[in-house]
Formats: sequence, structure tokens, C-alpha cells
Amino acid sequence: MNHNQQSSDGIHEDDAALSDFLASLMDYTPTIPDELVEHYLAKSGFQCPDVRLIRLVAVATQKFVAEVATDALQQCKARQTTVVKDKRDKQQKDKRLMLTMEDLSRALHEYGVNVKHQEYFADSPSTGMDPASRDE
Amino acid sequence: MSDGGRESEREPEKPAAQRKPSGVEFAPAIARIAVAQICESQGFQTFQQSALERLSDVAVRYIRDVGKTAHYHANLAGRTECNFFDIIQGLEDLGLAQGFLGAADIEHCLATSGTVREIAQYVGKADQIPFAYSLPQFPVVKDRKLTPSFLQIGEEPPGEHIPTWLPAYPDPSTYAQPSTRNETTTEPPTAKMEQENQHRKEERSSLNLHQQLARNGLEGPSSFIAGDAAKAKKAAESNPFLAAPLQFGEKEVSPVVLPAKAKLSNEATMGISIMENHGMDNHMSVLEAFVPDIEAMKSRLCDSNEGPKKVLLNSRQTVQFKIGIGKKSLGTMLDLSPENKSFEVTAPWFGRENEKDDKKRRAEKIMKESMGNAMELDHL
Repeated sequence: MNHNQQSSDGIHEDDAALSDFLASLMDYTPTIPDELVEHYLAKSGFQCPDVRLIRLVAVATQKFVAEVATDALQQCKARQTTVVKDKRDKQQKDKRLMLTMEDLSRALHEYGVNVKHQEYFADSPSTGMDPASRDE
Repeated sequence: MSDGGRESEREPEKPAAQRKPSGVEFAPAIARIAVAQICESQGFQTFQQSALERLSDVAVRYIRDVGKTAHYHANLAGRTECNFFDIIQGLEDLGLAQGFLGAADIEHCLATSGTVREIAQYVGKADQIPFAYSLPQFPVVKDRKLTPSFLQIGEEPPGEHIPTWLPAYPDPSTYAQPSTRNETTTEPPTAKMEQENQHRKEERSSLNLHQQLARNGLEGPSSFIAGDAAKAKKAAESNPFLAAPLQFGEKEVSPVVLPAKAKLSNEATMGISIMENHGMDNHMSVLEAFVPDIEAMKSRLCDSNEGPKKVLLNSRQTVQFKIGIGKKSLGTMLDLSPENKSFEVTAPWFGRENEKDDKKRRAEKIMKESMGNAMELDHL
């Protein structure tokens, strides 16, 4: 990490690593389309003609979303295991891994995003079922 | 929301993720699909619609925050276009909540930042899941047209202290007005403020008229200027046909601004006391004067306060007798709030006049000037 002490070799290494990284970005196709990222970046005042930087932001965003999703998935699985202990019969019904607001809000909380939603906000039949099952 | 922590049961079986492009906008819908794809790759099978929308909103917000912080860092470095390091800086800023490798090392090279390494690792190990649909090109303006600099135009900057690489001034007609006034007298700061607003609205043709009116105003007594403001107000109200959008703005702004200006001028300089006296009965003078002022502008007759008043009465009745509100207008001259209504009633008359437009513009300018001119008159 002591790059300021490095000689020109170190700088060259950094340069090489950087160019390699940027080149690898061009080979990688992020799930988030470039057009979308470009659109929102332009909206935020960002402007740069380099496509690789758009890619970089797209990859970074994808990484962020994937991390949040992974955390939420862990929350979801952890909850399912507790459910198994509590009520085995009902657990049979849904083995699906579902992204719910509860898991998501917890996962996002670790990333500094406070998500609040109404207790009785029923956006889908599944959400509507939730309060009924809250016996504890 | 944390009450859901130990739910005894999960939701019953639900159909697969509902990807309704219900969004009014195109981009959020695209973002939702992309986020859904990412979540699917992480192992999720279904979604709550609200959770998916929330996550996609957060993702969009993340993109925008990255852009904002990168833009900020670019500007901090004196650039307008972002580069790689600006983005890395922005990503580090956004990643400070969780922390990243080497965050404590202040002097590390950005190229080897922990965020870069994490992204590189992610690129290395994550599967490529291309977006499900092919997208049309978004209408993103990539090449902004900047105002050409003095150098590009080939003009000489008006002052030596202005570097040639700075953007050139707009057409002189848009800002020539202040200079003409400067010739006569110095302007108070409030007057300059007024001028700035004024420039946007004014047109080239109206400038000449305005100058003439200003001269007339300077010749005339102070009450005349006070009347200008009112006249301008009236003119704004009397143009229901042509300047509807301006009209509302004028209505709201002018009554509030005028007294404030008078107060400001009072506080600012004691020497303006004469004007201020007029300001005390501003409503009176304004009401009485503005109609005559317009007439005077046509005929250049306005030499004194008395003259305008007489003209006002005569012209008013002759013009308005068809409507039958001549008495009304006279009576309302004493009162400010009723006056507005009466003017609205009489508005059609003014609207029919050919010179209405010019008059209105002149009136607006004069009104704005009047605050500044009040001081100027004292100097004269």
C-alpha cells in the first residue's frame, strides 16, 4: 500500500494493472445496460465520453445490487431455517426463495440505506398474508 | 418493520416474479428488469413487487450518487469531465459506510484502491448475464454545446481583466440598458438586482422606448416615478390576452416587491426621504399616476404630477364610458386592493390597443427602474 514510496516501476505496475482492469471491463458485459447507466449518469451531471467508465459504473452498481441481494438472500435463508423449527407443516408450502421487504430492508440497512415501509402495506397477495401469520 | 424478524411462516406459494412494466417511465422499468436479473443470479426465485421496486430504486440512486460524487470530485480538481479516478473516489465515498480494503490508508494510489480490487474480483468471478432485452439508445446528450469563449468568437473581451478563454458575453442588446442608466446616475444595489431580472424579459425594441420613458421620468417629479411602478403593475394586469404567463408572475411579485423596495431604500439612504414621502402614499400616487403615464407615453405629455392626473380623468372616462366603470376606477385609485380588480375589468380596453405590448413592456421596465430611479432622482 505504500505506493507513494514506490519507484517508477511501481507506478508502471499500477498503470498496467489499471489498463488491464479497464480492458477487462470492456470484455465484461454487465447486466445493467450501458444505456441505462449512461442515462442516469447524465442526469446527475456526470459527463464523460469514455465508454469504459460507464462500464465501470455499471459493474460497480451491479456489484452493489448483487451484494445487497446476497445479504437479503442470507436473511431469507436464515429465516426459513427458523421457520422449519417452528412450523414444519406450513413451511412445506413455500420453499421458494423470495425477496421480501423485510429481508431487503435489513440487507440495505447494512449499506446505510434506511428502508421503511408501512406495516400494513399490501402490495401483493403474499404481503397481505404476512400479518395473518404473525402470531408471535 | 423489524417485527418481521421471526415470522413463524413464510408467504405461501406465489407465482414467479411479476415484471409488470407498470412504471410510467421507461428507464425505471429497465432498471427493474436488470435488478431482477441480478437477484435471480444470486439465487432468488420470486419477488415481492415492492421489494423489487425498492431495490431497483436504490440501484438507480446508487448510479446517480456515483455520478454525482464523481462529478463533484472532477469539479474539485478543476475539470468538467470525469475520469477514472473521479469515479473511484466516488465509489470510495459511497463505500465508506461498509468500509473497504485499505480505506484507512490515505496515501494509497487510487488505481490500487480496495474498491477497484473488489470490482476487479467481481468482474473475474461473476457470471456474465447480459440484459434480457436489446435497448434502444437513450436520448442522452453526450456533446454539450458550451458557450463559445472570447477566443473562439474572435472578440476582444470588454476589459483587460477578463481572460479570453472565458465564455463570451451575450449580445450587447441584452445588457446595454444598465450602461445608459449609469450615464445618468449611480444605481443602488437594489436597482441592479432589478435590472438583472429586467434583462431577461426585455426585448431589444423595447429598450429604446424604455430609455425615452426613463428620460421622461427623470424630467418629471418624483411622484411620476412612484406612479411608474403602479403603472407597470397595472399594465401587467391589463394584458390578459398576450402575456398570460407573465401576468401571473407580475401580479404576485410586483405588489410585494414594491413596498419592500421602498422600505429598503428608506433604510439604505436617508437622502431619499423625499422619495420616501411619496412612498408613504405610494398607493395614491401610483394609482393616480399610472394611467396618465401610459397616456403620457403615447403623447409625451407627462411633465408634472398635475398634468397626468387631469389626463387620467379625461382619458379614463372617454375610454371607459362604454364599460361604465369610470367612477369605479377613480374611486379605486384611492384604494390599492380594489384597484386591481378594476383594472382587470378594464383590461379588455387596454388589450385592444395596438400599443398595448409596448406599453406593458415599458411599464414593467419603468416599474423596476422606479425603485432605483427614486434614488437617482434625488441626486438630480
